[in-house]
This record gives sequence, C-alpha cells and structure tokens, in this order.
Amino acid sequence: MKGPILTVENLKKYFFTKQGTVKAVDRVSFSVIQGETFGLVGESGSGKTTIAHTIVGIYAPSGGAALFKGKNIGVDSSRRSIDLKKDIRIVFQDPGSSLNPRWSIKQILDLPLRVHSANAGPERLERVRELLSMVELPPEEYLYKYPPSMGGGEKQMVAIARALATNPSFVALDEPTSALDVSVQAKIINLLMGLQEKLHLTYLFITHDLSLMRNMATRVAIMYLGKICEVAPTVAFFQRPFHPYTRMLLSSIQVISDQEEELKPKKIISRGEIPSPVNVPPGCSFHLRCPERMDICRRVDPVMVEHETGHFVRCHLYPDRSGRQPTDA
Amino acid sequence: MMNGSTPLLEIRDLHVRFKIYEGELKVLNGVDLRIDEGEKVGLVGETGCGKTTTIKSVLRVLPMPPARIIKGEILYKGKDILKMRRAEIPSLRRGEISAIFQDPLTSLNPVFTIGQQLGDIIKFSLKNQGMKRVKRENIRLNAASLLKETGMPDPERILKSYPVQLSGGMRQRVCISEALRVNVNLLMADEPTTNLDVTIQDQILRRLDDLVEKRGTSILLITHSLGVVRNLTHRVYIMYAGNIIETAETRELFKNPLHPYTQGLLKTVPRLTGEGVSKGIPGRIPNYLDPPRGCRYHPRCDHRMPICKKDRPPLYVMERDRKTSSDPAISSGGRIKEDHRVACYLYRSRAE
Amino acid sequence: MARNRPVRSALEAKRVNISKGWYKFSRNPLSGLGLGVLIVIVFAALLAPFITPYPEHAGPFTDFRRSSLPPSLTHLFGTDTVGRDVFSRVIFGYRFSLLLAIVVISLSVPPGILLGLVAGYTRRHWIEIAIMRITDIFLAVPPLVLALAITAMLSPNLLNQMMAISLMWWPWYCRLVYSVTTSLRHEYFVHDAELTGARKMFILLRTVLPNCVGPILTKITLDMGFVITLGASLSFIGLGVQPPKPGLGTMVADGAKRLPAEWWMTVFPALAIVAVILSFNLIGDGLRDMFAVEEI
Repeated sequence: MKGPILTVENLKKYFFTKQGTVKAVDRVSFSVIQGETFGLVGESGSGKTTIAHTIVGIYAPSGGAALFKGKNIGVDSSRRSIDLKKDIRIVFQDPGSSLNPRWSIKQILDLPLRVHSANAGPERLERVRELLSMVELPPEEYLYKYPPSMGGGEKQMVAIARALATNPSFVALDEPTSALDVSVQAKIINLLMGLQEKLHLTYLFITHDLSLMRNMATRVAIMYLGKICEVAPTVAFFQRPFHPYTRMLLSSIQVISDQEEELKPKKIISRGEIPSPVNVPPGCSFHLRCPERMDICRRVDPVMVEHETGHFVRCHLYPDRSGRQPTDA
Repeated sequence: MMNGSTPLLEIRDLHVRFKIYEGELKVLNGVDLRIDEGEKVGLVGETGCGKTTTIKSVLRVLPMPPARIIKGEILYKGKDILKMRRAEIPSLRRGEISAIFQDPLTSLNPVFTIGQQLGDIIKFSLKNQGMKRVKRENIRLNAASLLKETGMPDPERILKSYPVQLSGGMRQRVCISEALRVNVNLLMADEPTTNLDVTIQDQILRRLDDLVEKRGTSILLITHSLGVVRNLTHRVYIMYAGNIIETAETRELFKNPLHPYTQGLLKTVPRLTGEGVSKGIPGRIPNYLDPPRGCRYHPRCDHRMPICKKDRPPLYVMERDRKTSSDPAISSGGRIKEDHRVACYLYRSRAE
Repeated sequence: MARNRPVRSALEAKRVNISKGWYKFSRNPLSGLGLGVLIVIVFAALLAPFITPYPEHAGPFTDFRRSSLPPSLTHLFGTDTVGRDVFSRVIFGYRFSLLLAIVVISLSVPPGILLGLVAGYTRRHWIEIAIMRITDIFLAVPPLVLALAITAMLSPNLLNQMMAISLMWWPWYCRLVYSVTTSLRHEYFVHDAELTGARKMFILLRTVLPNCVGPILTKITLDMGFVITLGASLSFIGLGVQPPKPGLGTMVADGAKRLPAEWWMTVFPALAIVAVILSFNLIGDGLRDMFAVEEI
C-alpha cells in the first residue's frame, strides 16, 4: 500500500487586514496518498485555493505543519530548495492570467526548463515541442502563438504542459476547468487522467463542480470557511453524505437527468449567504445556515471524528467511533 | 405559442461579421430565434458560438465598426430593431428589454452606492413612462421593494452600500432588480449565475424563476450549462458556430436529442451517477475567418455525408408522432408545445 | 499576405508582431498624421545645414539692411530684428528642442523604471516606502522652479538645462511603473515564475516590465512634448539656450517684444513648438492602441 506523499496537520493561514483577521485556513488536517486524486470541494471563502497556494509555496503557513515526502514544506517558495520547486507544481484557476500575455508559448514553456535543466537551447526546444504534443497542441501551430489569441481551453492546456515540464510528483489543480465549456473540460480532464497514469502523478484537485468531482477524485474533502467538514472516499461521500453542508451543496447542483435527481439528497433548500471570513460565527461556523442545528452548535466548535471507516466528519450530529484522524490515512 | 399572437422577439436569418487584423470573422451565419410572451427560453452554446453577439445585436450594443450586420431582421413586437433610429433605442432599453450579464461587478458602477444606481434607473424608467417629477422618497421605497423581491435581506443597508462591499450573489441580485424594474417584457440573462457559488446559484435561479412567472416576463436565458436550462426553461435552442442547430421543448430535447452535437454535448456533461468522464467531442470550434462550408459542424461529425459539405442544412421540423406519443400537444400552462426542429441532413427524410 | 497562417519561426513571429502593431497603430488616422509631421521635423532638423536657405543665420550674423522683413518668398517666415532668416533659425531651433527631449528622456527614464519595478515588487516594505517617499519629495517641487534654481546656480546653457530637467523627470516614471508593477505583482503568471524558481531580476525585467511597455511608451511620447515646452519656457526667461543660438523659446521671447506689428518673429517659432508637441501627442494615442492587449 502506498503511503502519504503529503501530510497537512493543523495547517493555518491567517491574513491580517484592516477589517480584521481573515482565517482563510483554520486548522486543516489531511493526508494525500501517492498516486491518488484528492479532491477539495467548497464555495467561495472556503479556503481551498489558499490551501493549494500554501502547499505550493505562494505563502508560508501561519501555523501548523506541512510535510512533503517527509520533509517540512512550511515555508514560502523563496526559502524552498530547487528540487522541491521542481517536484510540486500548480495549475492555476484562471487561464487568462496564468500565462504572461507578452510571452510566446515557446517562452512560457521554456522557463521551467531553463531553470531546472542543464540543457542548451536546441534540446530545450525539442522538449517544448514534446510538451505541446503531450497536451495535444500541434507544436508547429502553437510554438509562436501568444495567449491573447488563444481560447481558454488551449491556454489551460499550455498551463498543464508548463506544470508538467519539470517532471513533478505532485500537481495542485485549482479549478482547472471552471472557466471552460463542457466539451473542452472533458478533453482536459481526460488528458489529466491519462497523464496521471503515465507519469505517476498525485493530484490535489480543487473544484466547486460536484458532478465533475464525482468522476475524478478518489477521496473528497469539503471545506467551509476555512475548515474541513467532511472527508471520505468518493462513493461514500456522494452516496452517504453526513455533514448538513455537504447535503446542502449536493442538493443544489443542477443535473441533467432524472436518475441524477434521484441521487441527490432531498429537501434541503439552501439558505442564507456565506458569512464574511472576517466575521466567522461562533461555535460551529455553519450553524447559522444549518437546518439541523442544535443548541450545542452555537457554542462549541465540533472536532473531526471518524464516523465510518475512512469517512470523517466534523459535526455534533455524529459521535466518534474510532478515535482516528484524517491524517492517519 | 400563446394563441398564435405576434411573437415578442423574433430573430430572422441574422448574419454578423467582425473585422480584425487577420481578416473578417463570420460569426453569425443565419440565426433564427423566437420568443413569445411569457415564455422562458434557453439558448445553449459553448464559448465562441455567438450567443453574446446575438444578444448584443438585439440590444444594439455591438461596436459597429468592427462589427457589420450583413443581413437579417430582429423583430420586437413586429418592429425591426435593426432599422430603428438611434433616438428610439434608449426607450426600448428602458421599458421593454433589459439584460443581466455574467459579471455583476463590472455591470455595476463601483463609485456609486446601490441606492444611487438603482434610483437612477427607476427615475429614468418612470420618466420614460411619462411621469414628470418623481419624489426621492418614492424612488427609495421603490428600490427597497425591488431588492426585497429578489430575496435580499436588509434592503435598506444594501441601498447604502457600494458594490464592492457586497458578495457576488448579492450583486447579481441587484442586477436582477435593475433589470426587472418597471415590468420589462423581455429579460435577457447572459450566464447570470456562472460565476456564483453553487448554493447561491440555486437560490438565485429559483428567485429569478419566481419573479418571471409572477410578472409574466419573457426570459432568454443564455448559458453553457445544460443543467440550468433543463430546470428553468420551456424551450431550448442549441447554438453552434453561429447557427441554431436544434430547438425543442426542454423536456423533449433532453429525452430525445437529435443533432450529433447535442448528443455529444449531453454525453460530455459529468454525471452524478459516476460513469466517468467522456472523451469529449473531437476537433475544435471552427475558425471564423474561414469557416467550413455547408454545415459548420461537419468536420467534427461522425455521421457526415457529402451533402453536409455543400449547403447549410435548414431546420427540419420533426413530425410529432401523435398516435404513440403520450405527451399532450398543449402544456398545462395553456402553451401549445413547439415542434422539435433540427438542422441536420440525417433527418431530412423524417421531416414533415 | 496571408495574415492567417500559423507562424513557424521566431523571426517570422517578430515580423508578424511588428506588422500587427503597425495595423493597430494605423487605425488611428490622426496618429498617422502625427507620425508624418514628426518624421518631417526630425529629418529637417538632422539635415538643417543642408536644407535651410540661410544656414549661417543660425549663429552670430547680422544684416541690418534686411532686418524686420515680413514673410516673403525669399524669407518664408520673415527676418528678425537683426536681419536673420526666421525659417532657417526655426529649423535649427528644432535641433536644440529635440536634443533636449532625447537627452532628458534617456537620462531619466531608465532609473525611474528600475526604481519603480523594485519598489512595486519588493516584499520588504521599507524599501518600497523609502523609494516612494523620495519620489514624492521630488514630485512635490514644481519642475520649473527646480529647473530655475539649478540653472541659475550653474551657468545658463543647454547642457545644464538638460541636467536640471532630467533630475525632475525620473519620479514620474517611477510612479507609473510602480503602479503597474503592484497591480501585476499578484497575477498568476508572476507567481508561477516565482514558484518555478526564476531569479528576481529576471522576473522584474522579463516578466513584469514587458507588461509596462505600453504605458511607458505612451508617456514618453507625451513627455517629449512637456520637456520641449519646459525647455522653451526656460529659454523664454533667459535660462536656456543663449543668444545668438536659435532656441525656439528664446526666439519667442525676443519676438514677443515686437508684437503685434512684427508678428512673424514670435508666431512662427511658437507654431513650430506647437507642431512638434502636437505630433508627439497624436502619436501617443496610436501607441496606446498598439500596445493594448486584445483578446479575441
């Protein structure tokens, strides 16, 4: 059995602003197993992008630990070793701003090669062509194109090629297809899954599209206002969701067939807005919107417990049954 | 169709082109669309298919160079919008047709409060209806009640806030209030909830649906999300590369998609049932500088035939199988159900 | 030319870019006009000794028999109070103005850009504050006053004028680049370059700077006009180009005493100043269009 490649324990990332402290990530713990696709789901303000950015090194965490292949990565990229930078890569959310509009595709893909490989110009050009072919973009056509003249799907494929240019082990994918159409999305997801198998990659896959997650992830974690509410293997997550927020989210998705309607949890009309992250409600942060709130929810913040094997949830409705934590994967 | 009366909006054979450095983009290639009073119609198509160009043509906000309208008519209540003089257009926009766009932050002016913006719009609309002087108090009450209708908690506070202080969902609700003021007849919503969170999206779509039903406003809902359209519209148009390639009653379309593109599209939507991710539709959307002859979808189509490369297929009307179909021809709302039409030579023989 | 063909080499890419840039520039007819006028002026200035009818008049020359003559075929812009051909002197005057503009921009823009990049990008707050406050101090002093002070302290001539104005000019570029840099700082492509491991200088010069080029170039063209005006103003009050050299501002000052009767001595040099400033401004519009990032 493969072990965890990434472990995050009580990870915190707070931002200090004039309006108050934003607890973007507030004591989050989980492990990602080598070779799996770990899904992170949540709405705006949930902290999922911040976690990805912290793991990848855009920020240093405010507290807690993050271990990658056993080594501490709780620092930002300026303090990380060059090997680490090669090994953990990210595909950003917005293809429009993740590629420098003034650089050609050749220059964009050449940068990671220049930094990380000792090869000279012609060899790097060969590798750039290889990368473009890998994402099914014909090199002769795309080498000298510029991002503003490309569609979102094509840009995102370049972003993927760029992330994979250094032969990483771990790739964070932050909503890679959210801005794209379904047919382009299908192409990209297939590409990602094929590449995962071929190159033995581990993915941290972030999206708000639950139908997509259902088909992509091996395990799913759902976040709300900086904390994880539930972690479970995919099938269990969708077939037997425990947390009321998970159920609320699942019941809101727009599906296209009656069969799928049947699969959705029933009768939870979503209520209220997500509170501002500067104004996190006391007790359980979800209690203001929760249809099943109890008195204890207003006062005490629940802790993560394992309610079924491998299925963890953080809610007063569910008592602890094993004492294990999600980091003990 | 409601009793065979004049349709509210009818787009006939619209062709639009854009001039750029590399040449001319032949974006719209003969779009035909109809919306009747009180109808909720969906326009589904992927990025670049021309849906935004279509509504911009209706609103007459296309930048006229570089855009050119080659031919076609857009009839609103029987009158051709394209032939209207510039002076007549503002009253059209204020009282008859309104629109909501994808990004509420750019639709709202960041330096004015919601109260000021909504107030201005209400003032112009009331003046448009002929009222000479409008009291400020009336405007404020009007604005507050509009916001309440869209489900906004604490409207008074919202009126005093600036757009940047509100969440995406609230901003979109403000845009909806602006669009639905003074009982417009037609609301065009271009991807109104694509940028919003799933739970908020659900709330807003329900609210939009309620409001529209209550006021009898027609709505043209433009989106690339099939799920949204399925739950919210009476009829759907599927658009590809500047053409309408299929149209039917919503239920019928999902049950029985005919055009290969529609079938492909439905297959690529990830399902909650967990069948895995489909391979997608091979190929790419055509280059509008030099689009394919005949049916613009044929390079990507598994079923292409020689005739597909020659001429663009017309929208064939599928014969309604009245004997075996258990679906009544008239819906519970009194609407006569539309025929299923598809622009594909595969169905030439089945057409009426 | 098949504009739609995919590009197959780096060289071809550069050619296509230039061609596209020109297309965007030329959609503005006024910019084309400005460019045309500027080209004429520059060539005239470069070839002044060869194309002016009386090149020797641009120096110590007097001919009192032909003084104060109105414009005619032999003297297109008339003659001044000591008999020198105004037209020839205006063309030579352009040399000083253009030289001033070029030197000032060359001296002040690069340091301004560099400081702006560093101030906008650095994570060390104190560096940013230090640079920007120094910039503020320089900006607080009106350029004319500082230039006056400096030129008055040293001897008044073109060289000192150039030094004085250069000292005044860099803060504007610093601020411009600072504002663009701070807005680009958190774009994903900048983060990506950092995460990949590119060095800071590389990121500043090759990632951020290319995205600032548009506003910088537009500002340079507008500034050429400002600098020329400033130089003319200094010459007008006697602190710039000294007689008998034909500075445009000096000529305007001298001729002003002869208004309104002998109007040509002031009006033509003034119009010459207007022409060169206007042409730069019109070009600025076209440049802005050329550098706009267009998404299809």
